[in-house]
Amino acid sequence: MPSIFEDFKEGQRIGSGPRLAAALTPVAPAENPDRLKAFFYFSNSTRLPSDLRYSLFQATGIRLSKQEANSWIEIFSPYWKAVGEIVKFDEAPSHASWVKVFDAWKETTNMLIRGYSTNGLQAWTVPCLYIVGRYLRTFAQKADAELSSQDSVAFGDRFQDDAVTDFRNAKLEEATRVINRMFTLCLSDRASIEESRKWGIYDTTNLLFKSYFKLNSVGLSKNLLRALNASSADLPEMDAFPKSHIVTFKYYVGVIHFLDENYAEAEEHLSYAWNMCHQSAIKNKELILAYLVPCHLVTTHTLPSKKLLSSFPRLEELFRPLCNCIKAGDLGGFDAAMTVAEEEFVKRRIYLPLERGRDIALRNLFRKVFIAGGFDEPKEGQPPIRRTRIPVAEFAAAVRVGTHAKEGSRVDMDEVECLLSNLIYKGLMKGYISRERSMVVLSKGGAFPGTGV
Amino acid sequence: MSNPQSTTKAEPTQQSQPQKPPVLEEDDEFEDFPVEDWPQEETEHGAAAANGTNNHLWEESWDDDDAAEDFSKQLKEELKKVEASH
Amino acid sequence: MSSGIPPWRATASATATTSLHSGHAAPAYIPVQARRSLTSKAAKPAPSPAAPLTSTEAADRKRVEFPEAVRKYVQRSFAPENRLPGVERREMEIKLKTIITEAAESKLLDQIDWETLPLPQVMVQNDRNRVLASPGVSSWGVFGTASPKKLTVVDDLSKKRKSVEYQGDANGCPPWRQTNSQNAFEDRITYPSTDKRQKIDMKNTSKSKANLEMRRKRFEDPNARHGSSPSSRGDSPTPSADQGPVVGRCQNLEKNYFRLTSAPNPDTVRPLPVLMKTLDLLKKKWKKDNNYGYICDQFKSLRQDLTVQHIRNEFTVSVYEIHARIALEKGDLGEYNQCQTQLRALYAQQLGGHPTEFRAYRILYFIHTRNWTAMNDALADLTAADKRDPAVKHALDVRSALALGNYHRFFQLYLDTPNMGAYLMDMFVDRERLSALAAICKAYKPDVKIRFITEELGFESDEQSAHFILDHTAEDLLQEKDGVVRLLTSGKAGQLFEGAKADAHRVVDIKGQI
Repeated sequence: MPSIFEDFKEGQRIGSGPRLAAALTPVAPAENPDRLKAFFYFSNSTRLPSDLRYSLFQATGIRLSKQEANSWIEIFSPYWKAVGEIVKFDEAPSHASWVKVFDAWKETTNMLIRGYSTNGLQAWTVPCLYIVGRYLRTFAQKADAELSSQDSVAFGDRFQDDAVTDFRNAKLEEATRVINRMFTLCLSDRASIEESRKWGIYDTTNLLFKSYFKLNSVGLSKNLLRALNASSADLPEMDAFPKSHIVTFKYYVGVIHFLDENYAEAEEHLSYAWNMCHQSAIKNKELILAYLVPCHLVTTHTLPSKKLLSSFPRLEELFRPLCNCIKAGDLGGFDAAMTVAEEEFVKRRIYLPLERGRDIALRNLFRKVFIAGGFDEPKEGQPPIRRTRIPVAEFAAAVRVGTHAKEGSRVDMDEVECLLSNLIYKGLMKGYISRERSMVVLSKGGAFPGTGV
Repeated sequence: MSNPQSTTKAEPTQQSQPQKPPVLEEDDEFEDFPVEDWPQEETEHGAAAANGTNNHLWEESWDDDDAAEDFSKQLKEELKKVEASH
Repeated sequence: MSSGIPPWRATASATATTSLHSGHAAPAYIPVQARRSLTSKAAKPAPSPAAPLTSTEAADRKRVEFPEAVRKYVQRSFAPENRLPGVERREMEIKLKTIITEAAESKLLDQIDWETLPLPQVMVQNDRNRVLASPGVSSWGVFGTASPKKLTVVDDLSKKRKSVEYQGDANGCPPWRQTNSQNAFEDRITYPSTDKRQKIDMKNTSKSKANLEMRRKRFEDPNARHGSSPSSRGDSPTPSADQGPVVGRCQNLEKNYFRLTSAPNPDTVRPLPVLMKTLDLLKKKWKKDNNYGYICDQFKSLRQDLTVQHIRNEFTVSVYEIHARIALEKGDLGEYNQCQTQLRALYAQQLGGHPTEFRAYRILYFIHTRNWTAMNDALADLTAADKRDPAVKHALDVRSALALGNYHRFFQLYLDTPNMGAYLMDMFVDRERLSALAAICKAYKPDVKIRFITEELGFESDEQSAHFILDHTAEDLLQEKDGVVRLLTSGKAGQLFEGAKADAHRVVDIKGQI
């Protein structure tokens, strides 16, 4: 990996945003472990401005307008300071602090934003925004972790009437506010699209989504979606953006709908993310599927095939027991599988949709009752017709089988009727209940729609 | 005064309980892709289409197993119990 | 795709993070001239805390003749009846010395109202509950030389001053800070306190009716230990971006609630021992007068006094719990939700109280508001032990019965609700009755007896269920046949209930967004 100044020079020379952003990437890769140190020790705090001016411009021969050149120097000054704080983790760990890294990095971010809002910086450099914002989040989270060794819950300001405010994510909240300004910076750019910061909008939005999810404030994402919607006419088509921006964006939009139980819309976005995802991005594909599978269960009553989950052993292990119980109409097994995985499902926020799989398991159980009922005496010349009048007691017996009911336990016939009534109401079963006769009369044409009988 | 019903037998017997599921990674955040953009052929959909593996990813949720007769027998047995209890 | 080419398309498609392919072709992209635009809002420097006030010449020590009031104050401090458990005499003496020295040095001995100034032991106790003042804020004092450790007294004397200027961050309060709940909308819901129960006036008393009487008395838990000393907990100081707490010296038990717009005046803030008496008074008054408007207002001022003094202990928990129970009983969900949000945070700090009772309410509350994201969080909060608690288990069963449309189970659970959960369930039980009726009308043919509806949907009598049906549909759906009233489960009936169900659910959606 080349030095920070080389990245800057090359990025400027060829006009490559990503290359330029590499200059602002605060990592020292294995092949160049001294990258950050070299940058930090090239100067000291008194000489910094003139050293920067020399290394960024005079030595590289890069010529920019005075305003733009000054912007870069203003950005690289706190950047240099932040790098110095990072280097400490190597050289003087006892004095190193993520809070200090964060503070310097926040200053870097603010200078970058200022560079754009005062028009010192050109739009093609916008990948810098993403990189800097991304590390702002990273450092904020590290700083919060560092602070969390201290007591984390404090009183709010004294004008509040109630006692408790949560400060565990104080730095991440700070970072999110800064990134929010980036969002506005990108979205409100009125320049023509070829030279617009709008190209940074999805990347920036994704940073905010990630933060809102971490801050447990998913609801705020909807404000972003509203703002994006309002500007949609001025934004380029989705497929003009790099796929990494869009796949990430679609994933989060899908999950946001998912959490609102808008499974049909969720599925649309998640499917898009799935289809466009890079085929070897295994972890991201796994995340998409973790939501797409429950979506499919709710919207189309279909289950993931072994083939689909073959590259995701953890998902296979997580979902397969449920799928098997659903297929077999095994209510007891289904409940047990839900209980066993409950913690993980809840953590993943997929418990509620998966729970609905019980209806499908029940449908399959009752379907077996129907099939076991065989055929009525055929009328002469007619094809045989399945027995469609089935006593509620038979379904009650099936519920006993399905729930592995213990010897001697009672079955509540009213509850069985309620289960039947629900399946009929939801369209999973066609027919009606006659309470007087304690009998179910199933439809002669497709008693269990979509299942071949 | 408030007597808790049915709490004493709350501990379910763990006879045929499935194993604890695997815990997905602690950090469930969507990862940054190592490249910013990629051609259609490298997308999940494009790659699967090329291999002809885009079919049969989702399957029906019901199953006509061969054990229909077993179920029928079980059902009849349980039916006797249901009728006996009413 | 009429849009232009994104800048980075034109050049490297490599990642910005690491390995950049070197040696790609000459720039295909020509940098454009920087543009001017109107959006030149540069990052303004954050406002700095107000400069220290002029410093008085502090330490010109001379002999002072203490006024009578001061001597009385000292006497009271040592009086055995004013001893506080948990505050040692030595701590009290040190505090007392600090108070008097500072007052003398600042020539305020004559100006302080020693009659109402909290005793040093009270201040010591409050200090324990208080958050350390952050450095840089100490310059608020009138004394000028005040160091953070002197803040308690300084605070008392310089009320008006310190409120406004200091802001930790120019951006003020972020949206996720304004409430502690997952959904900011939720906190804004205020329901008119129409108590449905008052409408219920049927003869056949059932189990649920009997429950009502029980419930009515439960706002006050007999096991609550709010009378005990609260000082044993919450004594670890926490860092904060905030000034130190106020130490109140108001001795009145009652106080109207006003929203704070500036720093609180210690003269109008009641210290903990007074607040404990206040709570007792409010409980008595609630039993006697049942005047919710008064009680709610008083509880809000009580909560406010606790907050400004940074008192966070078992007593705090019991104040929120009792207010929450009263709000529940009166159907004031807005107030209830505020208490619930605070309680969630207080329970997380293990300050005592009745966490499972309120975790159960929380689940029922999110069923009512149909906030699934918050529901998921509520589920995630539960420990294995919580789930074994009867109230929590009940709420979880209610949730799952509704999720699966199992109205049979749901109404069994409704009739057997622990604690005050029935007040919450009352808020959505009619909605779920309509859902159940919509299903029943679609599934049963040709009719069902009204008795079936009564039993299945937790009504108290056939009359009540008949009324309910007629309220939401048309008269001809009920017919008498063979001496029994029946609900004709026609397609029309199904449609009518479907419509009523949609309306009932919509009401909550709209309320949830106001």
